[in-house]
Amino acid sequence: MSRVVLEGREEFLAKLRELVDAGLPRHAITVQMPYEVPEVDALLGHSPDRIRFFALIGALTGFGSGLALTIYSVVSFPIIVGGKPIISLPPFLLIGYLLTILFGSLGSFLGFLLMARMPSPSGLADDGEFPDRFVISVRDEEGP
Amino acid sequence: MAEPRDGRAIEGEVLAGLRRPGWRYFAGLAVSGLLALMLFALWGRMIWKGIGLTGKNNPVGWAMLITNFVFWVGIAHSGTLISAVLFLFRARFRTAFNRSAEAMTVIAILVASLFPLIHLGRVQVFYFLLPYPSERLIWPNFRSPLPWDVFAINTYLIVSLVFFYVGLIPDLAIARRHLPGLRGRIYGLLSLGWQGTGEQWRHYSRLYLFLAAFATPLVASVHSIVSWDFAVSIVPGWHTTIFAPYFVAGAILSGTAMVLTLSIPMRRWLGLERLIQIDHYEGIAKILLFTSLIVSYTYLVEHGLALYGDNPFERDQYLYRATGDYRVLFAIMVVCNSILPLTLFFRRMRRSLGWLFALGLLVNVGMWVERFVIIVSSLSHDYDPYAWGTYTLSWTELGITAGSFGLFFLLFLLVSRLLPVVAITETKQGLAERAVSGQEQAS
Repeated sequence: MSRVVLEGREEFLAKLRELVDAGLPRHAITVQMPYEVPEVDALLGHSPDRIRFFALIGALTGFGSGLALTIYSVVSFPIIVGGKPIISLPPFLLIGYLLTILFGSLGSFLGFLLMARMPSPSGLADDGEFPDRFVISVRDEEGP
Repeated sequence: MAEPRDGRAIEGEVLAGLRRPGWRYFAGLAVSGLLALMLFALWGRMIWKGIGLTGKNNPVGWAMLITNFVFWVGIAHSGTLISAVLFLFRARFRTAFNRSAEAMTVIAILVASLFPLIHLGRVQVFYFLLPYPSERLIWPNFRSPLPWDVFAINTYLIVSLVFFYVGLIPDLAIARRHLPGLRGRIYGLLSLGWQGTGEQWRHYSRLYLFLAAFATPLVASVHSIVSWDFAVSIVPGWHTTIFAPYFVAGAILSGTAMVLTLSIPMRRWLGLERLIQIDHYEGIAKILLFTSLIVSYTYLVEHGLALYGDNPFERDQYLYRATGDYRVLFAIMVVCNSILPLTLFFRRMRRSLGWLFALGLLVNVGMWVERFVIIVSSLSHDYDPYAWGTYTLSWTELGITAGSFGLFFLLFLLVSRLLPVVAITETKQGLAERAVSGQEQAS
């Protein structure tokens, strides 16, 4: 594994371009950055983003469970209140809406933890000091 | 004062606040801690002696405690506005305030959520509010706005907490590097082993976008649902469709004012003058002015609905609110929320920190009074003159209210000492982007 530590954003992008243009396999390159640099995605390519599926599944689960809870509660103990229908959709949709947001947010967070492989024991153990610097690591392809 | 020149300077300046609090910090901590203690002592006394220690009566069964609940939920709103809505709109000035505003949101919801419990009197049965399969097979009535409120507030608390924590993750990893010993190890654990790899940043930015998108509708919906606690009833002065936007605009106004109240002293005490600049305050002042204009517009619409709506009860209630027993409070509300913020049309006033701090305090007084006037005057004077009555607050309620401010400031002071109060990585990114756009313009 070889490692290059760089000071500035532009210097880092130039070095990364140079490595990619030199024909190094993209999967062999990993970077560490003090903040997000969107150009890196275009240079290194990336696997499809799956957090949106977690968000979608969470949101649909929330909406479904909100409606299921409210409808089950009135069907299991039906009391007519103020002449309103037993299944009163407008207020029940409100509970569904709130749980859509709640479960969607929690689903996205869970998706992030899985996709970004966190909590990361190696990250917790790593004391590599690169304060405010950009790091490019290239994995050696020729294994034993 | 010039901005810090590089990322390391930003880290140093923000994290210095975690190391060296001055005597003012400890004085603030002591005063707010004593007030918070008073809140819990008075609440304990109320549980022991009974709800008669409050000034609540018949007809005014909702009074100061519910006023505090609505006020504190409102304070929470501008945190979400600054962190989520301004993020989606790519407003650059948000990075100076978003962390402290997010902390303010979480703390304000925690303080707000105490008040329905205090108001209940018999707090030990609060779990009746929750939807759980009880042995009597009776569920909450989901057609009532009160269970909506339980869902709205809890959703808001959890989503705000997740948003706050996610924003902190890269900064906690930085704090871990700077602070030695046990404290550094705790920051390391809380940062979940963040290393800032390309993959982590990519997923992180997607997550932040999704959380902002989920939190944005909450800005509008949570205070709308709080307003429906009132508007779904048939009490004159409450039963009006303008309530949801009226409450949301008021919430953002009061929350923005609280951001000013908190951040102006914090900036000075923690030495953040180079990170939070006057230009940033000017952006916040514009939001305050804009929301104040919306609130003033809703005051006028309320006036029009009452006087031209052909409903004698609404008309009578409106006149009572403006000219009856609570007229002084009504005048304070109009002056603080509608007239004084007009000074922000002048650039000099928008850039005067002294005035912004004073205005923040005055708007919060005005917004607290607004909630009080809405709640108490409507119940004091509804349909039947036989049932009319006025409300006088008790010392217990006054002490609990002062204590809630103490608890809020205590928690905020603790957060500002324990966590980075300015978003370090976002500030660095903003600095780098400005440098790149500066180079592009120059070439």
